[in-house]
Amino acid sequence: MSAYQLLQLASQLLFVFVAVAVTLQMIHRPLKASLDTALLFAVVAFLVAIGWLHEINGVKAGRWENAVTGSLLMAIPYMLVRLVDDFTTTRRAILGAAAVGLAASIVSLFVFPPPYPGAVVLVLVAYFMGFTTYVAVAFVKASRGASGVTRRRMNAVAAGSLFLGVAILLAGISAATPGAAKVESIIISLFTLLSGIFFFLGFAPPVWLRRAWQEPEVRGFLARAASLPRMPDLGEIMQELERGTASSLGAANAAIGLWDAEAGLLRYNASHFLRESGADQMIGGRAFISQKPVFSDNTERDDPAHADLYRQSGARAVMAAPITSDGKRLGILAVYAAHAPVFADDDLLLLSLLANQAAVILESRILIDEAARVKAMEETTRLKDDFLSAAAHDLKTPLTTIVAQAQLLERRARRNPEEPANLDGIESLVSESQRLKRLVLELLDVARVEQGRLVNYRENLDLIELAREVCERHSTDLHRTVLDAPGRLVGSYDGARIVQLIDNLLENAAKYSPAGGEIRVRIRQDGASARLTVTDAGIGIPAADLTHLFDRFHRGSNVDDRRFSGMGLGLFICRGIVEQHGGSIWATSAGVGQGSAFHVVLPAAELISLVVEQAG
Amino acid sequence: MNHPSVLVVDDDSSIRRIVAEILLMEEYEVVTAPNGAEALLAVEHERPALVLLDMRMPVLDGWGFVQGLKERHIEVPILVMTAAQDTARWAAEVGAAGHLAKPFDMSELLSAVERLCRAG
Repeated sequence: MSAYQLLQLASQLLFVFVAVAVTLQMIHRPLKASLDTALLFAVVAFLVAIGWLHEINGVKAGRWENAVTGSLLMAIPYMLVRLVDDFTTTRRAILGAAAVGLAASIVSLFVFPPPYPGAVVLVLVAYFMGFTTYVAVAFVKASRGASGVTRRRMNAVAAGSLFLGVAILLAGISAATPGAAKVESIIISLFTLLSGIFFFLGFAPPVWLRRAWQEPEVRGFLARAASLPRMPDLGEIMQELERGTASSLGAANAAIGLWDAEAGLLRYNASHFLRESGADQMIGGRAFISQKPVFSDNTERDDPAHADLYRQSGARAVMAAPITSDGKRLGILAVYAAHAPVFADDDLLLLSLLANQAAVILESRILIDEAARVKAMEETTRLKDDFLSAAAHDLKTPLTTIVAQAQLLERRARRNPEEPANLDGIESLVSESQRLKRLVLELLDVARVEQGRLVNYRENLDLIELAREVCERHSTDLHRTVLDAPGRLVGSYDGARIVQLIDNLLENAAKYSPAGGEIRVRIRQDGASARLTVTDAGIGIPAADLTHLFDRFHRGSNVDDRRFSGMGLGLFICRGIVEQHGGSIWATSAGVGQGSAFHVVLPAAELISLVVEQAG
Repeated sequence: MNHPSVLVVDDDSSIRRIVAEILLMEEYEVVTAPNGAEALLAVEHERPALVLLDMRMPVLDGWGFVQGLKERHIEVPILVMTAAQDTARWAAEVGAAGHLAKPFDMSELLSAVERLCRAG
């Protein structure tokens, strides 16, 4: 037996073997794709068998028999186009054209007696070549759009189509040129063999090859898994898990549904076609209820209640597995494909493994969140304790003077009723009472901030006039306060609250500034906004504190509370005043010791209306 | 008898003033200081019989003041006088002879001062 014959026999045996294998697969899972694959290889196997029969009997095929085998051969491109449609989506027109081409080929094979006229051979080769090329291109395109194992399968099929096309082209050429060389025959056989191998690997890859093809993505996913629980938010973790799962299985999409026990719902990411579903709904719900992985190769058939949803979102095939950690049901992990043959039964095992991995990651995340929550609660408690002791201290200090002063006045008056009233003592009593009053009002304001009732009566007022009044009051020998503002800036304000706001900001600026430090108040109109900035040359604000500065109880971490008494309420109230005016407030600082700037934006009347008002 | 002198250390000027006034009325000699650093200078000059000490103060707090006394080998009874809830604990920390929680009654102040001055 020559090498050529051996090669030929090998390719023939391969086709027969593959035909049997894919037929068994079709019986096991009767999908349209399995049927088409089985038919393709059955046709080839049938052609091989006829060849063997002739060899054994030493009979030459007759004209009609040649027409039949030729027709079967011509069916191959049409069947490949059908397979393209099974794995991707093909236009109806292409399927129609392939059918027409097949019909035309069959008719001409039966009408013309062999040897076929050159024109007929040309048409047959053109039909065959045209559609196998189309198939190759379509699978290459499908592979570009796919990932992981699916991409590799599509590439294999594309290669198979190319080898088949070239083999047929060579066969056509050798038929047209009599006395073909043996080398040509060998190449044809070799290419046919290769196409058989690649078709088999692409359409029906054996389990070990699927695993090998899935490995790089699975490995990549597992390599990232350890760092996932520490990602900034749960949504990102879910997306990363979904991406890893989809690429590991070569699926278009994957989704995690997190179990919300209170609502009794599985909740999904925003990118999912559904935001939530009941525990018993959809294919994912079945996996959740049964706590077993579920595979549906036809979602419209298996879940008719949601057929529309599945069709619209291109989820023809779904695999779902429960995400369960230590008996704790966390949710489900589902993968979707627009075409059923993307998945194989044994992929369920891989999906379950990935779901277990997801369970570990999500569980870690839950624990990390829990720890952070406890820490935040402790922090709040600590801030509250600090606040209460600061509040107590601040209230007791003026109270100490008031009590002692009142008792002293009383004792003196009793001892010596004729003595003139001690004016200094009374003044001190009044001023300390005022101080106590301010503190008590501040505490009451905090409650108002929380109820949103801080700002009451608003009227058209000149912000600059209000600011000038406050600045004059605050300009002391220790801190010069400079107002830098245009003539007038009118807006609808609660005058008392705006004064309180600027008062607070200036008090803070002075409190945290060295003696002699200048405090600047700058006011500008910016369209329909008034911008007020208070800048000091004081102790500055550490960057980490800038965002928390306006929170209740918060005080700068560089504020030594033995040096600067205060309840940490001033800026909280300031924010309440600004926000309840519809404005915003924030702080900037170049850092500790670099001074601070507090920026306030409040709504203002447009310049136009100001002009009108002035004109009127 | 020589009138005992009392040093009043508090960052709040109203409290310094009223405490001084009360003590003056009872014929104590009174010196005041707004923080621990000035209080140390005053102690060196005046050698008071008693120090009324607030704990939380700018520049140098009560703990710093007591440390300064130790470094200077000066012994003087101290009456801790704060508005904090930890008055008793802080007093123990600095080895004070007594403590007075703000706000206090005039009579409490006077009896505490009298007791400690007599003891000294």
